[in-house]
Amino acid sequence: MKKIFAGILVLFVAVVLAACSGGDDSATESSNGNGGSNVSGDVIRVGLDVDPGTMDPRLANDSSASRVTEIVFDGLVELDENLVPQPALAESWENPDELTYIFHLREDVTFHDGEPFTADDVKFTFDSILDESFNAPYRSLYEPIESVNVVDEYTVEIKTSEPYAPLLSYLNIGIVPEHLADNADFANNPVGTGPYKMTDWKRGSEIHFEANAEYFNGEPATEKIVYYIIPDNTTRVSALEAGDIDLLHSPVSPQDIGRIESDDRFVVHQTTGLGHTYLNFNFEDPTIGEEAVRVAISHAVNKESIANDIYAGMDQPGKSPLIPSSWAYTDAIEGYEYNPELAQSVLEDAGWVDEDGDGIRERDGNKLSVVLKTHTEDPNRMQAVEFLQYELQSIGIDTSVETQEWPSFQESMQTGDYQVALLGWLNLVDPDRAMFNQFHSEGGSNYGSYSNPEVDELLEKGRTTIDQNERAEIYAQAAKIVTEEVAYNVVLYQGYVVMHVKELEGFTVHPGGYFKSLRDAKINN
Amino acid sequence: MKKYILRRLLQLIPVLLGIAVISFLLLHMIPGDPATVLLGQEATPEEIERLQENLGLNDPLPVQLFNYLGSIVTFDLGTSIFRGEEVSTIILTALPATIELAVCSLLISLIIAVPLGIIAAVRQNTFLDYFSMFFAQLGISMPVFWLGVLLIMGFSVHLGWFPSFGRGEPLTEGFIHLFTTGSFSVLFASLKHLFLPALSLGVMGSAMITRMIRSTMIEVLDMDYIRTMRAGGTIEFLIVMKYAFRNALLPVITIVGLQFGNLLGGAIVTETIFGWPGLGSLVISSISQRDFPIVQGVVLTIALLFALVNLIVDLLYARINPKIRHN
Repeated sequence: MKKIFAGILVLFVAVVLAACSGGDDSATESSNGNGGSNVSGDVIRVGLDVDPGTMDPRLANDSSASRVTEIVFDGLVELDENLVPQPALAESWENPDELTYIFHLREDVTFHDGEPFTADDVKFTFDSILDESFNAPYRSLYEPIESVNVVDEYTVEIKTSEPYAPLLSYLNIGIVPEHLADNADFANNPVGTGPYKMTDWKRGSEIHFEANAEYFNGEPATEKIVYYIIPDNTTRVSALEAGDIDLLHSPVSPQDIGRIESDDRFVVHQTTGLGHTYLNFNFEDPTIGEEAVRVAISHAVNKESIANDIYAGMDQPGKSPLIPSSWAYTDAIEGYEYNPELAQSVLEDAGWVDEDGDGIRERDGNKLSVVLKTHTEDPNRMQAVEFLQYELQSIGIDTSVETQEWPSFQESMQTGDYQVALLGWLNLVDPDRAMFNQFHSEGGSNYGSYSNPEVDELLEKGRTTIDQNERAEIYAQAAKIVTEEVAYNVVLYQGYVVMHVKELEGFTVHPGGYFKSLRDAKINN
Repeated sequence: MKKYILRRLLQLIPVLLGIAVISFLLLHMIPGDPATVLLGQEATPEEIERLQENLGLNDPLPVQLFNYLGSIVTFDLGTSIFRGEEVSTIILTALPATIELAVCSLLISLIIAVPLGIIAAVRQNTFLDYFSMFFAQLGISMPVFWLGVLLIMGFSVHLGWFPSFGRGEPLTEGFIHLFTTGSFSVLFASLKHLFLPALSLGVMGSAMITRMIRSTMIEVLDMDYIRTMRAGGTIEFLIVMKYAFRNALLPVITIVGLQFGNLLGGAIVTETIFGWPGLGSLVISSISQRDFPIVQGVVLTIALLFALVNLIVDLLYARINPKIRHN
């Protein structure tokens, strides 16, 4: 027993001593040390916040799953930085009529296992997404597709039941091989056409990729990519500083950005993302259902302060559900300005007056009280609701805060068990995605039961109008109405942050956080 | 002795069944279910309803509980809702990482605590005593996440001595590599990964053990037989290390056992901070996904390990103090 103990003690001392002596060249030390596995040489090491839930693009529902499927698979199209669809597996496409898209596919593409990519794979992919029993999370985006038909080996026709303008923006979803995708294990062993092949997945810790030499756009610039799962935001940034990873992206703590920016070993990109953070109002609630209360709350939201003080300028003050990175963005919608005095007079006009002098307004003997809800995963959102609690309290609304972890919070939203909630939307590649499900009276994500026939009509029209300029006008109208009626109060336009080592070249920052451009990225030593 | 062990193991069965029922009910009573998480924010209520039906979540709770208990008595922990893998496989992959971390942090705790505790007791009310008690106080009151972040900042970011996150190859792989090729490299890399998380847990644990060793040592050193030995001229070092320490060990072993049991349950915060892929990070991510089978499986595993560690502690009692007999 004593001998074993002494042996282990010696081993530990040896490690500490050896580690100390290796302190001079920390960069090479830690890169060799990382994982102890084969990651030296031509490699880009990326830090991600969560382990992907799946590697099947049809089922992907978290950001890490997207980051994996983006480099392992290709879609028919890919979205450039302005969210305009560009050719990918489809070389070109045409619209013979408003209900039909014909895609001409590349003929030189093979899957990682050497099998050729054909129109059958495209049909298989979309048929399975539309299959109810497959439970694809984004099925509703593709629901207007009536049929996917194979015209010949390299031509596919997609028919929709009604004109469906956003469709092209959603066709960047990865195409899976028909001959493999039915395997039960496909989600763990993905085979795609993309620039990188997934070679090893150590659950919860690291994912290894190797360049696909046969990639149709030419061999990727870097031989290997490794994704490391580092759940803690602070540790992930520390890992970059310690030289253990080369690149990381949102989510990051806003407080870390300045430090990395001022360090000349790193480059920080900040851009507007594809999401917004908003207050959702529950119209079914008797207090919140009253427009004056919603307007007063909106006047009490100091967006500038939330953006600059809580989010350290990473996010920008928001105005409407149309985000700045979208072609539909308009600055004509101003939203409600921060003006607590005005908020107070709005409440007074509506009969909410503090009669007993306790600082809380009443009407017909009922106190004006509101519960603000948010989820615990984002500390900045929790801070923001606490700040809002103070703001609302000071205009005479008795305000309490409730935070829940995400699954419980999501259930509260879906069952309408809330008054006002702070949450966000991501991946708003098309204004339809930002508005239809959220504000249409039949919309699947219309948690607050907002309903306005005029908005319904506009949203339906926006979906079925193909011309982009015309659509932009329609969405501007709809966004103006929902903002004025305070269905949402968009507090922030979410920023998107990428940090990487200075030596990394060729990586293009995409507002959607897409990692497609890793295929052109290389670390120059 | 064998009979005693067997009886203890048999007692485990009702305990584990009870834990299974409680963890099942707790998990199913909190709001949020795997279907909503799987399908995400943009799913329609109909889609969620359909998936709930497919997953059997709409069956009455007693039926689900009965099915679950039925499968665990046949040692089937079920299949993960998210990963589609056997829960037992998932747990067996994460468990070695946790055991590695637990064993090493306990070792670090003991390496710090044993000398510190003994010195504090022998040199009671001197500077050394105050120093070790100050250390113990610090170790107990420092939040483990804070210590973890400090260690990363110091040893990884500024000094670059240790990696800031993750686990290398399993230690066993490292030893195999050492014995087959004679090269230390893999083992060395693994130990470097292990050091910071083990240190942050170890420091915390050592604080409590130091205090315990100090107080029991003070008590033992005050006993008659020690005075007799001193009067007889036995060397002080021998008295302290051989005769006093052994008798002071009993309560220390209890606390070490409890601590080890806790560590095996996955050091949730530490594992998350250091991106350590053990039971702690597994259970955290599974709870946030509402992957019921994994959470239940992990809870059962932890309970089993805890009970086994306790059994070992009881057996060690008898070994250290021959007056105790388990019959």
